[in-house]
Amino acid sequence: MPYSKPHTRAQLFLTYLVFTGAIATGLALFTSASTILNLIRSSTEGLFLPLLLALIVTFLLEPPVRIIERYGISRTASIFLVFLLVTLAMFLAANWIAPQWHSMWTSLEADIPRYLSRFVGFLKDLQASLQSRFPILETYDLPSKAKTFGEHLVAGTVPQLHRSALRIGSLLILVPLFSFFFLRDGRRILRAALSLVPNRHFEMAHDLSYLVTRQLAQFIRGRIFEAAIVALVVGIGLSLTDLRYVPFLALFAGVTNLIPYVGPLIGLVPGILIALVDLGMGGQFWWIVIVYFLIAQVLVDSFILIPILISRVSNLHPLWVILAIIMGGKLYGVLGMIIGVPVASIIKIAILEVRQYRRNFALPESGLEPERPH
Amino acid sequence: MNPLWSNIFRKNPEEDSLAHFLGTVPVFSELGKRDLVLLERLVHCRHYRANETIFEEGDPGSGMYLLRSGQIRIYLRHRESHSEEDLTRLGPGDFFGETTLTAPSNRTAAARTLEPTELVGLFRADLLETAQKYPAVANKILLGLTRVVSERLQAAGYEIRRLHQVNEQLVAKIEEPK
Repeated sequence: MPYSKPHTRAQLFLTYLVFTGAIATGLALFTSASTILNLIRSSTEGLFLPLLLALIVTFLLEPPVRIIERYGISRTASIFLVFLLVTLAMFLAANWIAPQWHSMWTSLEADIPRYLSRFVGFLKDLQASLQSRFPILETYDLPSKAKTFGEHLVAGTVPQLHRSALRIGSLLILVPLFSFFFLRDGRRILRAALSLVPNRHFEMAHDLSYLVTRQLAQFIRGRIFEAAIVALVVGIGLSLTDLRYVPFLALFAGVTNLIPYVGPLIGLVPGILIALVDLGMGGQFWWIVIVYFLIAQVLVDSFILIPILISRVSNLHPLWVILAIIMGGKLYGVLGMIIGVPVASIIKIAILEVRQYRRNFALPESGLEPERPH
Repeated sequence: MNPLWSNIFRKNPEEDSLAHFLGTVPVFSELGKRDLVLLERLVHCRHYRANETIFEEGDPGSGMYLLRSGQIRIYLRHRESHSEEDLTRLGPGDFFGETTLTAPSNRTAAARTLEPTELVGLFRADLLETAQKYPAVANKILLGLTRVVSERLQAAGYEIRRLHQVNEQLVAKIEEPK
């Protein structure tokens, strides 16, 4: 068959079809760019949280992995070993806590209305005394408002708990998976990203990535460690009293301690409420207040932990803290409120590190030198 | 030879590898084969076009570069006279910038490529990480580095002494006619 045969009609038609198809596809792509963006956005919607948590887990598990690696065990094997140990520890803890947890949960479910009614009664007394002093308040029905608010809160929390349990279930699969790969290939991922930097800025980018990563690792490890110790101190302090639900209260105090300024205050609310209802305003109540405020917050946290673990660099202005909490809450609910402030601190640390670097060294001018006669 | 067979009976693929190249650099002479393979994963290979700036005088320096191929010039830029003074030209196997590997400081001279060049960079951040993970390897690298820097320091000391003598002779010559 000769090579340069004139095109048949079928061939021309096919060419025409192909070109038309290509143009139509291009147009469709162009017009649906926003749709594609939307698709990308909705497909990556739930990924931010597991990725962030995986990053935190990675920073936490990096030191033990490194220690095991030092004994000549391969990195993948060390990561598996650390994962195994962590799983074992969590399994044992769950085994130990689960029976108590279950009974505690059922009694708590029964107790919440009781606490609520006591609280309403307390408000009623308060209103009576207020009304005797300020008659103008007579039209304002504080107890019934508080009651409906409380009922709303309880009714809203219970189904949300089931939904968040589902979410936590998916996190339990995704976070270990992501953090395994971050631990194993994190260096390679970072190197691959860095290798894209143009030659002229490569050295600076490389140096900065190291400095920022180091600061972040310190910050994240410090915060988690601090929260754990505060939870431990609160747990020990409260277990000396007759207060119930101590593990739950300690855990709550630890988690809320991750939020500066506001967190510790929120953390002590349930403890104080339960103490007020169950134990009354006796000596034990004041001991609980002392445990929360003086021992856990002032003595342990402010005087011992924060100076040792956390640099002042990451301190945020209270205004930023409130903004971060509100924005985090809008995005991811309660979990967002907790991680909002640390994320804001992380951003601040990164910005500060870059600024410090720029101040210490003049930034290199960019560009290829023009050809010059020598 | 048929390209297929030449591919299979390649003379010495080892000589082309990055690890082999690193082994030829004096700084890494203490490292064994396995250490060199590890070092291979630490360094960064960068490709430069001709006449591209590697760094300027005063840039933050954070590591050393090894020349794998190509040619570069190290020079000083005199801002007042807008001229450049060549300090040296380097070719394959040479290295430069090693003084900033352990102590953060600014670059004391500028470097630019003369032709398409492949550089291998070893930076402080990677070295620090290695020091934590593989202290023995980092030890060997640092020992090699210290040796090279000491040799240069010694040479510089001799040079200073020689220049001092020359200077004294010149001063004596100037003062003689009086």
